[in-house]
Formats: sequence, C-alpha cells, structure tokens
Amino acid sequence: MTKTEKKSFHQSLAEWKLFIYNPTSGEFLGRTAKSWGLILLFYLVFYGFLAALFTFTMWAMLQTLNDEIPKYRDQITSPGLMVFPKPMTALEYTYDMSEPSTYEKFTADLKRFLEPYSVEEQKNLTNCPDGKVFEQNGPVYQACQFPVSLLQDCSGVNDADFGYSKGQPCILVKMNRENNIANISTYPDEGVIDLKYFPYYGKKRHVGYRQPLVAVQVIFGSSPAKKEVTVECQIHGPTNLKNKDDRDKFLGRVVFKVTVSP
Amino acid sequence: MMNKNLRKGGKKKDLEELKKEADMDDHKLTLDELSAKYSVDLTKGHSLKDAQEILFANGPNALSPPPTTPEWVKFCKQMFGGFSLLLWTGAFLCFLAYGIHVHYSEKTNKDNLYLGIVLAAVVLITGCFSYYQEAKSSKIMESFKNMVPQQALVIRGGEKMQINVKDVVLGDLVEVKGGDQVPADIRVIAAQGCKVDNSSLTGESEPQSRCPDCTHENLLETRNILFFSTNCVEGTARGIVIATGDSTVMGRIASLTSGLALGQTPIAAEIEHFIHLITAVAIFLGITFFSLSLILGYGWLDAVIFLIGIIVANVPEGLLATVTVCLTLTAKRMARKNCLVKNLEAVETLGSTSTICSDKTGTLTQNRMTVAHLWFDKTVYEADTSEEQTTGKTFPKSSDTWFHLARIAGLCNRADFRPHQESVPIAKRATSGDASESALLKFIEQSYSPVNEMRQKNPKVAEIPFNSTNKYQMSIHLLEDNSQAHVLLMKGAPERIMDFCTSFMLNGQEYPMDEEMKIDFQNAYLELGGLGERVLGFCFLNLPSNFSKGFQFNTDEINFPMKNLCFAGLISMIDPPRTAVPEAVGKCRSAGIKVIMVTGDHPITAKAIAKSVGIISEANETAEDMATRLNVPISQINTKSVKAIVVHGSELKDMNSEQLDHILKSYKEIVFARTSPQQKLIIVEGCQRLGAIVAVTGDGVNDSPALKKADIGIAMGITGSDVSKQAADMILLDDNFASIVTGVEEGRLIFDNLKKSIAYTLTSNIPEITPFLLFIVLSIPLPLGTITILCIDLGTDMVPAISLAYETPESDIMKRLPRNPKTDNLVNHRLIGMAYGQIGMIQALAGFFTYFVILAENGFKPWDLLGIRLYWDDASINDLEDSFGQQWTYEQRKVVEYTCQTAFFISIVIVQWSDLIICKTRRNSLFKQGMKNKVLLFGIFEETFLAAVLSYTPGMDVALRMYPLRINWWFCALPYSVLIFIYDEIRKLIIRRRPGGWLEKETYY
Repeated sequence: MTKTEKKSFHQSLAEWKLFIYNPTSGEFLGRTAKSWGLILLFYLVFYGFLAALFTFTMWAMLQTLNDEIPKYRDQITSPGLMVFPKPMTALEYTYDMSEPSTYEKFTADLKRFLEPYSVEEQKNLTNCPDGKVFEQNGPVYQACQFPVSLLQDCSGVNDADFGYSKGQPCILVKMNRENNIANISTYPDEGVIDLKYFPYYGKKRHVGYRQPLVAVQVIFGSSPAKKEVTVECQIHGPTNLKNKDDRDKFLGRVVFKVTVSP
Repeated sequence: MMNKNLRKGGKKKDLEELKKEADMDDHKLTLDELSAKYSVDLTKGHSLKDAQEILFANGPNALSPPPTTPEWVKFCKQMFGGFSLLLWTGAFLCFLAYGIHVHYSEKTNKDNLYLGIVLAAVVLITGCFSYYQEAKSSKIMESFKNMVPQQALVIRGGEKMQINVKDVVLGDLVEVKGGDQVPADIRVIAAQGCKVDNSSLTGESEPQSRCPDCTHENLLETRNILFFSTNCVEGTARGIVIATGDSTVMGRIASLTSGLALGQTPIAAEIEHFIHLITAVAIFLGITFFSLSLILGYGWLDAVIFLIGIIVANVPEGLLATVTVCLTLTAKRMARKNCLVKNLEAVETLGSTSTICSDKTGTLTQNRMTVAHLWFDKTVYEADTSEEQTTGKTFPKSSDTWFHLARIAGLCNRADFRPHQESVPIAKRATSGDASESALLKFIEQSYSPVNEMRQKNPKVAEIPFNSTNKYQMSIHLLEDNSQAHVLLMKGAPERIMDFCTSFMLNGQEYPMDEEMKIDFQNAYLELGGLGERVLGFCFLNLPSNFSKGFQFNTDEINFPMKNLCFAGLISMIDPPRTAVPEAVGKCRSAGIKVIMVTGDHPITAKAIAKSVGIISEANETAEDMATRLNVPISQINTKSVKAIVVHGSELKDMNSEQLDHILKSYKEIVFARTSPQQKLIIVEGCQRLGAIVAVTGDGVNDSPALKKADIGIAMGITGSDVSKQAADMILLDDNFASIVTGVEEGRLIFDNLKKSIAYTLTSNIPEITPFLLFIVLSIPLPLGTITILCIDLGTDMVPAISLAYETPESDIMKRLPRNPKTDNLVNHRLIGMAYGQIGMIQALAGFFTYFVILAENGFKPWDLLGIRLYWDDASINDLEDSFGQQWTYEQRKVVEYTCQTAFFISIVIVQWSDLIICKTRRNSLFKQGMKNKVLLFGIFEETFLAAVLSYTPGMDVALRMYPLRINWWFCALPYSVLIFIYDEIRKLIIRRRPGGWLEKETYY
C-alpha cells in the first residue's frame, strides 16, 4: 500500500531541470563548480600519471626490441605465397582474349609490380653468385639483383601483354618475405628460386631487397573453346617449409584459377 | 462473498475494510434477536429448502483463492527482465549478423552463430534460475485451505445431518463436539463444558471455555463465539452460523494476507537500480559507437558486430548468479544460526532492518511460566529464572515456612510431569496442567524434593479445583508424619487467600494476623504484581483430630472447617525473558534498530518484560512511572522528556494514522499491549510510512497479514502455525529473539560484501569495453574478443567474486546505524567511479600493454598498427607487411591477433588478483584485514589455473581460438597489478587519516 505514486510528467521535468542546474545551490549536474573542478582535477592528475606510466612502460618495452629483426619469428616459420596480378575476386583470373579491356588491368598490375625489377632500378644491386645462400655479416647488407630476364616470356620485356593476348597468361608467384627462402611453363626454369636471395636481413638493414619471383605461364592451345585451369603452387624447400595447413590457404602454397575465352 | 468480484478499483478499499476489526454485534444479540436476524428456528434449524436458497445466494462456505498471475507470465518476466533484454538484443544481433553473412557470402564464418547461441543460453539459464527461485514462495492460500475442516454436523428441519463444510450456510444450526473443527463462525446458543483451542487463530495456547453469554464487547474476546477452523477440545456446543467462507474471521485474515500488495525487497530495489545504471551505460556506449563506426565508414554489418561486442562487454553476465550464490551462502550460514530464510532476498532485508516489531511470548520470553519470586518470613526472595538454571540464586531453605509453602505448592497442584522424561532437565520437561501449576511443580521438584514422592506420602483425599468465581484451589491430604491427621492446603488469588487467614507463619512459628502483617502483605503483593508477575497466595490448616483418617470429606456441601487458616507466603510467576535477549536488545540498540514490543498481554506484564530485556531501558521511564516517582498527576509530566511509552490496544483503536505516526516518531521505546492482530498490521504500516524497514515476528494465523506486509516477516519455527510460516520470509527455528540479531548481523555483512563483490566484477568491464572502443576509433587489430569477454565474466571472475561473500567484517557492523535505503545504495556513483574510472582504467592499460608487447615482439610496432585494421581483417591480403618488412598471410596474423587476445585475457586475470585483494576492504588496510579468507585464496588460484587451462590446453585454438602464451607475456601486467594495490592502499590510508575528507566523499563506496 505504500507504493509511491507515479510522478507527473511536469514534476519529473522539473526534477530534471533542477538536476541540470540548481540555482539555489549553484549545482550543475549535481555538483557545484568547485566540486566539478576538484573531481576533474583529480582525474586529470590521475590519468596524467597513468599516461606517463604507460608511456614509460611502452618505452621500456621498445628498448628491449632489436631494430633489425623481430624478437620472435615463430609465428611465421613458413612463408606464405602470393600471386600477381592481384585478382579481384577469390583468386580467379577470367578474361576474354579478344577483348583487351578484360585483361588490361592484369597486365597493368604486372607492369607496375615489375617496375622495381627493371634493369635500370637494379643497377646498384649486387650480382650475387648463384647456387648458394648469400650470407652476409653487415654492417652494410647487399641486395641481390633479380634480373627481370629470368622471367623470360613473362618478363614483359618482349611481350608487353604478358601472354594474355595469346591465351598464354603469365601469373607471378611471390614468396612472402620472412627474416631467414599447367601445360605450364615456369620462369626461372623449373620454378626454382636461387638460394642467393636468402636470407633476408630485414627492412632496415637490407635496403633495396628484391623478392625473387616465379612466373607461371599458362599456355592454352588455340582452340576456340573456353578454357579453364586451376594451378596450385607449392614451396618445396630444403628446410621443412610447411605447405599444407588446413586453415591457412596461403601458407607455402597458393591456388588460383585461370579462365580464358577466345 | 465480498471478495469474489474484487477488481482493481475496489480492491484497495476492501483491503482497508479488512484491516479494521470485524465489526459484528451478533455476540451481543439475545437469542430471539439472533433467531429473527437469520430467520432460523433455534431448535430445528433451517428447512432444507431455505438452506439450499441461501447456499445458492451466498455461495459455498470456502475460502476463495486470490487472483494469481499465470505461470507463463511470471516466466516471461524473468526471461525479459533485468539484463536479459540487453543480452537478447545481443543474441538477436548475432543471429542477424550470421544470417546476413550467410546470405551474402559463401564463406560461412560461424563465430557469430556460436556467440548468439552462447548469449541465448546465458539468458535462458539465468532466467530459469530466477524463475525457480520465485516459484518456491507463495503457497499461503494452500496453507489456509489445509486448516479448513471437511465435514460439519448441522441440524436442518429438526434432523441432524452430516454435510460437507462447503454447504454450511448462514444461519445454520450447527453442533460441535470435542475433537471437531469448527465449520464456520458460530454464535453459541448452548454449551456443555465446551472448550476451544483458538491457538491456530490467536496463538494463545490455553484452551478457553465457551458459553452462550456475551462476556466481552469485542467479538474476538467474547466467550460466545466459535471461530471457523479452530478446534473444539472438549465438551459440546450448539450455535448459529453467523459468517461463512471469506467473511469469517479466518477468511478475512486469509483474504487480507493473500491480497496484500507486496513491496519490493530492498535488495531487489538495489539490484534494479544497479541494472538501470549499467543498462543506461551500455545503451549510451552502444548507440554512440554504432553511429561513430558508421560515420567512420564501417559497413552496417561491422557496426552491428561492434554493437554486439559493446553489449557483451558492458553486461556483467555472471553478476546476477554471483549475487544469488552469495545470498544463498549467507542463507545457509543463517540457517545454521537458527534463521531459516525462505526468500533469498530477505537475507539482506534483515540487514537493512531499522525497526523490529517483536512478539513478547516465546520470542522475548521462554514461553514457560517460571517461579520468579517468593515472599515468606516477610522477605522477598528471588528465584532462578534463567533457562539453564545458572544464576545460582537461592533463599533460606532451612526456614520452616519454606517447608509449609513448598508442601502446599507441591501437593495442592494438579499438574504432573509427562512420563519418560528422566533425562530431560526439570525446567524443560513437558507437563500436563495449566501454566502456573506447572511452574510450581517444576520449582518444587527443583528446589525442594521430588513431587511424586511427596504426593505418594501425602495422598490426596479431597479437593476443590480452581474456578474463576471462587479463585482458589483447595485440597486435603493425609499427613505423612502423623498418618492419622489431615491437612487442608489452599492456594489462589492472594486477596482471596488473605480473607481465609487469621494467622500467619513467620520463621516456622504461627502468629495471629495483625495490621502490620496485612500492610506487609499488601506491599509485597503490589511489588510483585508491579513486576508484571502472576502472584499466588498459599495457606494451610491442620485439621483437628475429629477429621482424622477415614473422615468422608464432602466438597459440595462443605462438612469441614475452611476458615482461620494460616498464611504461609506468596509465590509469583512470570514467563521470564530468554537469557540471551537483553544482550540482543542491547545489540539492536547500538546498531540503531528500534525494538518495538507488540503483545496481546496486559500492559503491566508487557512493561515488566520490556524493562527486564531492555526494550524500555533503565534510563527511561514512561510518563506514568515518572508521575508516580515524582508524585505528581500525569498531566503535569512534560511529554517531551519522556522517551518510553506503553500503548494500550484500546487507545490504539481510536487513533488515526497521524497520531500513530506521532507516537512512533516521538518515542524511542514503545510497547504495544493488548493489541489485536489487525492492529499489528496497522503498526507495521505506520513504521513503513515513516520510511523504516520493518521486521515483524509472529506465530498465529492472525499474525500472517502483518508478517506478509512487513519488509521481513519472521515466523516461529516451534510454536508458529503453518500459515504464519507460509506468510513469513524467514523462520526462527529456535523462536529466539537473539537469533534475529545474529541474522541482522549476517544481513549487514552480506550487504557490505555484495558491494565488494560488485565492485570487483564491474572493474573488469573497463578492460573489456575499451578494446572495442579503440578498435573502432584507432582501427587497430581487435585486442579482446567477445568469447574471451565471456570467459572472464562467466569463468575466471565468478569464484573470486563469490569468495568475497566469505569476507569477515572490517569493523563492528553492529555499532553503526542501519543503512538508509534512500541514500545508501548498493551501487553508487562512488563505486562506479572507483571501478570504472580508476581501477578499471589501470586494468585496461595493463591489457593494452601486453597487447602491444606481443605485437611488437612479433614484428608489428605500435605506431604501425594505427589504421591497419582495414588490411588486417581483409582475408584476401596475404602479404601484409609488418614493421620489419616481413609479410604475413591472413591466417598468420590472425593467430597473432588471437594470441594477443588470450594474453589480454590473462592480463585481466592478473590485474584482477590485486583488484580482488583491494576489494577485500573498503576502509581498512589489507595488512589489518589479513588474508584469512581461504575461499578467496582458492579463488585466486582457481582463476589463474582456469586461465592457464584455457590458454594451454591443446585444441583450444580450434574451440575458443585461444593460444598458448610465452611465459614472459604473463608478467607484462604484473607492474600494473602492483600499481593497483599500492594506489588503493594509499587511497584507503588517506580515507582513514582524513575522515569525512574529499577523497572519502568521492571514492568511499
């Protein structure tokens, strides 16, 4: 029986007004100016102190880091593979041979990607001895040349269309950089990446490093039918590089599909 | 059937009506008037046809059940109340997000589906849990119905017939005999030795005789009314039904009890207040960041997923369960201390109690008449009235007067011990016979000699039993030392006994009665009577030799001398206070709780007990006492200086609510005497009007409305009726007032500990919310996922939060005033400020620090993370470059992200260690409080173990996406954990040093 009666709308409105500003006590939102000042000052000091402390611990943590290589590399023991041109949708290349506009974006992408690999751009880089790991001890680290000619038909030097217009599209496969490696033609031959491009000494030390590439050229016959092929590239390295992970579809492998219509 | 068509409008008025005394005058009518009123023949009863018609018009003689809320409505209330609505929203959004996902892309990410299912399960389980808690209560009406008899013997058309009680109608002529239950309210028109047991209705355990004459103005007091559902113990009675079903006294109580609107319990109000606060914060943050993320250019789906995260992070999912478990633990602890709590929330209500309205009989007193004083040889001696006979009070047992007095008390006594109780202490043995005689029996057995032997040696040859007209009891026994002579022993009302006496005994010698003795007697009688005790006088007469053995005594036509007796002494009895009660009342007083005595007893007895237990303290006296002491008329007493008052029920009856409020407000020590049950309800409501949280004790059915109306109704476990137990929130298993006080202590402790528990749980909300906010604002990889949040709220935080319920009080909680329910809230802005503004912020920093450490050590430096989210969460980018030029596939970086989330989670566990330790106290230093709470220590180990299990168990990466951590990542949060401890110790030190200072006002929760 002692239930409080429902307040009228006017009453509650008045109460709210009084809460927002109470002229008798000079309270604004339930606090006086002095009270607001004190509480804000308290939090200002408190948060200022916390911010300083956080900055200090972050600074201390960064001091323990090596500028050249990450502290832990166990999350990326095996490199991922990535392909170029960058596909629009899920790793599928579909174009019409007779319609240049359908593959122009691919060739443009390849051109842009291969720009740093041109002879001009690589003239300051070292021509490294083939066939073995190019170990260096610094302090200055040399980057090896990756002559674009290694990609032969897919270098874009002879065929500016990278074979797309002939129904023999080139796809470049790139192995992710990590600090430590169809009737299908592959260039360099056999799809081998020379050991000399390893190891990678990190962004800071290893300036000018060119990631070695492998080009895959899918060579379709000249029959007028629509042709389709799925290509899977895998890394087979000297060390136990992973290329089969259920969840990570790019770990040590890459799968893509090419569809060409005449 | 006044209650049958009650609907909302009329209900309140009718309840007000029910609260008043039954206003009937049927008991005052003459038999002819009665016959005329109910148009019934007083010998033949109704004709069958009339009875049928009345039955048809008035409905059956049964209690009508109150309107009840259907079960599914109650269930839905639990399902959609509190946080449930927020969580449902979260779950719904999860399903929505999943649906959209499925619809627009082939890749099905089932995370949202699982999260939705988990959220829905959380709501369902907590909902069912609360529903189950609720469903157990409210069986009041059933318990009333159990009291109703099945069959009745009525006389209709001159014929006796056995009918179903439901068919009894107004004006029926009913016959009741020993062993029957009364089928309706009946006005007696003829009775033979009829005695009824009204205990189920009034709590008075002594059977009362019934006769056709009106003996009292009040319907409830007069002897010519039998009440529905009471028991007829012996004899027979015949009467006219004057009320049936809901209009009987019992029916009115039943309707009143079940119809009373129940207020919210204080803890429920507190939790509601708290839920409103948290919900407001959640909605505010949710909407703000939902719009913000849309403004920042995120898609609808992303915004919805953020919203889910913010909701999940904001709602302390495990908190309601924690609160329930804490209350259950306390309830169990209270049950061990003889307070059986029926309704969990009542645990805390008892702690908030500011007024206790206590019964006298049985609660404050031992509920057993005990000899308190003796007066012989012109001296008052005190007897031992303690429960365990430990005070060792004694009196000169060598006096010959004591021998005579003890002989009368033992022999002129019809009470007897029930068999087979040799092992039971004398004071606690069950006896047959009335209360005063039992008291004398026990007293003699204890302090003189075994009464049975006495009775065998002095066989009784004649007796006149006690009755209310002669007010004495007499018996004649053969003397043991001189087996030929008889002695006449008599006891009774002192003034009656004095009339029989012409001599008195002093130190074993007989002296003729003189004026001096008469004055001494008067003084002693007044003194003992003034103590509220029931005084009996004792005298004897050695019968002359012509009445020796073989004489046939005739008690109807007295053929032996029964005057010139010799006065032996007075013995006075009282139902003494329980030993622990004065201390308990003292505790209540220092705890700021007002103890009001409400009793049906006489004012003098009530006042005497009130004084002896401290309800009226020594320093205070009533206006009457003061007038007597100062020897001035009562009108001259300044009422302002009087703090104690004894209010008579008849005065209360004429008061309006303002006058009652005035009494409750202006007197600190109040005794209500001669009150009726309805008045108890009025007193409770008066106290509640003044803002008090009221606890009421009661045992009879008639107490049930007050029990239900009170914030906490306390029924008596031993003497209480079934209905009172159903109406109450708590049952005192030992009927002892002192147990209530231990209950209050526990209730106050749990309120403090719940505050601590909530402070602990809420703190981790900030490190749960901030990751989402920074994720949206700074576009960094998500530092803490929704699943990990649930792992904290429903996993690691649970046991530690519950362990705070085991915390011992910081100071004497019974030395402070009861909390003010209006201002002293469970969750206030200070608690929120502490948990969210201060400790929570430090915790969030600890989590972010760990997060940045792991990402930096793996190659992503903090500044490179800003804005990375768009690429980071793009599954088609599989060569995302880090600060060292390394390139990451989508899955690779996701593994790092989830490792970070696991580490963030473990950091929260580590900072929650110190949060738990600082939450142990609100004012004291930890070094004073100590680490004696073993459950809390277990809690710390448990949460750490659980965190390690979640991180290191193989397969967790698939199940919950939690990854094993390097050992050194566990230590990142440690400095912050230490900081929390140091910060809070300093804060508490300042609070202790500067009581009432700014810091206390702003941060003492």
